[in-house]
Amino acid sequence: MSADERRPWLLLLPALLTLLVFAVAFAMFVSVSLRTQVAGSAVFAGAATFGNYRAALASPAVQDAAWNTVRLAGEMTLLTALLGYPLAYVVARSPSPLFRRGVLFGLVLTLLSGGVTRAYAWLVLLGNRGLVNQALAAIGLPTVRLVHNETGVVIGVVHFLLPFFVLTLLAALRGIPVALEDAARNLGASRWRAFVHVFLPLSIPGLIAAASLSFAGALSAFLFPELLGGGRVRMAANLIYERIVTDYNLPRVAAMAALFLVLALAALAMLAILQRALARRFAPAAEAA
Amino acid sequence: MSIRAAPPYSAAVALCAWLVMLFVLLPVAFIALYAFNETAYLALPPRGLTLHWFANFFANTRFRDALMSSLVIAFAVTPAALLVALPAAIALVRYRFPGRELVNVALMSPLVVPGVVVGISFLSLAAALGLGLGTSTLIVAMTCLAFPFALRALVANLHGLDPALEDAARNLGATRLRAFALVTLPQLKPGVLAGGIFVFVEAIDNFSTAVFLTNSRTTTLPVEAFSYIRDFDDPTVAAMAVLLMAFSAVLVLAIDRLVGLDRLLDLH
Repeated sequence: MSADERRPWLLLLPALLTLLVFAVAFAMFVSVSLRTQVAGSAVFAGAATFGNYRAALASPAVQDAAWNTVRLAGEMTLLTALLGYPLAYVVARSPSPLFRRGVLFGLVLTLLSGGVTRAYAWLVLLGNRGLVNQALAAIGLPTVRLVHNETGVVIGVVHFLLPFFVLTLLAALRGIPVALEDAARNLGASRWRAFVHVFLPLSIPGLIAAASLSFAGALSAFLFPELLGGGRVRMAANLIYERIVTDYNLPRVAAMAALFLVLALAALAMLAILQRALARRFAPAAEAA
Repeated sequence: MSIRAAPPYSAAVALCAWLVMLFVLLPVAFIALYAFNETAYLALPPRGLTLHWFANFFANTRFRDALMSSLVIAFAVTPAALLVALPAAIALVRYRFPGRELVNVALMSPLVVPGVVVGISFLSLAAALGLGLGTSTLIVAMTCLAFPFALRALVANLHGLDPALEDAARNLGATRLRAFALVTLPQLKPGVLAGGIFVFVEAIDNFSTAVFLTNSRTTTLPVEAFSYIRDFDDPTVAAMAVLLMAFSAVLVLAIDRLVGLDRLLDLH
């Protein structure tokens, strides 16, 4: 290998070593998942076995959590897209630079304000004596249960995902030239037709990219279901945490975590395939632009 | 190019966007109000204002310790992640070598692993090596977890730069290192800043991995806040949130001043 061929690898060395630490932690975790914990101790013993995996796959709690995770993540992503798309569209096409800057500022501030802050804010806002229910009571309406159930968790996670979604989508929408919609309007298309036939198809790749990011975030949601679900909403991460706290059986929990990782990666791989297929479908239009 | 007075969307669509923005800002605005609220329960209109909950936050030794560990972790992880990511970004953008695409995917892979799985992994590693939990384990785990944020921002930044400038400096007799330090590095300010901020915020705010790696002696701010919320029902955590948000606001203003919020979009 010549000096020039070696140079990129030397530059990559620190990052590859960091990744190696990650990989070793991963290998440890998988090897732990194949062991058996000696009862009442922190010692792992016995030959490698898939027993922990078999037990996890057969457990109704694990099956429920897996299904809940995929279902809720789908619902959250859909809601995030429904709320986020109009906002990103208006920001991308707004004639007011002040509005654009204001929204960007608000989104980045919310993004940086952190998960715990926002989960806590929703807990107090949506609680039984929270602001929403106080307002309902003030106008003589019955109060509603908004936390310690799926509603609260979905509201919290959608709010968490929105800034990521809108910022990612916005970066893609900015690349769609206004001239195309103008041309459609000049040729007599209504605002709606110009949007549906020109803007929307061109935005599909960006939409899928932003939705994939949101879906990945929703799948690994942990803090929001933990705080806003009040133990009644169990997504995969919550089940894993609950098990590690209640009976510190690391091999069993590691097997569950490995299955969760496979589930998450499989779902994301499917989205990546979809993204590629759609990008090919809509690419000719984008290139014509 | 035509001058368009009217936007291409209807008033109803604009209203939708405003409502969504209101939804985004509502918790942030609320928490700021709640932190200064005199009573533990929020009644409207607020009965009075107080700094009591801020005093409460700083009087609580567990919060003070957690604040210290979170700051130590964030200030160790941010430069570490940037130093790991910067040479890697240069290799990925400026060099063509076999396996480049694979290396790129591998280096970004920590981003798609759920935080809980990362937590369990490092817990297994610590258990297998007989290491204790605490600050150093957290720093290692957070660096592994967060350096892809810095890498992504730096790669995006480098893609937008013209390598010819550095070549020109080298043709004029500058060494490779000198050309990089004097020509390319100053142009990497947006990427370093954006990447650094994402890493810093992740290191401060991470809960799902940190909760597995903290113990009774060392906790981080989010983990401590989480356990406080479970035990107490008062605005002390809101006061903590306001402090963190004030810090975030300063960061956002700094980004806007130094690189412009618009550019952040391309680096995110």
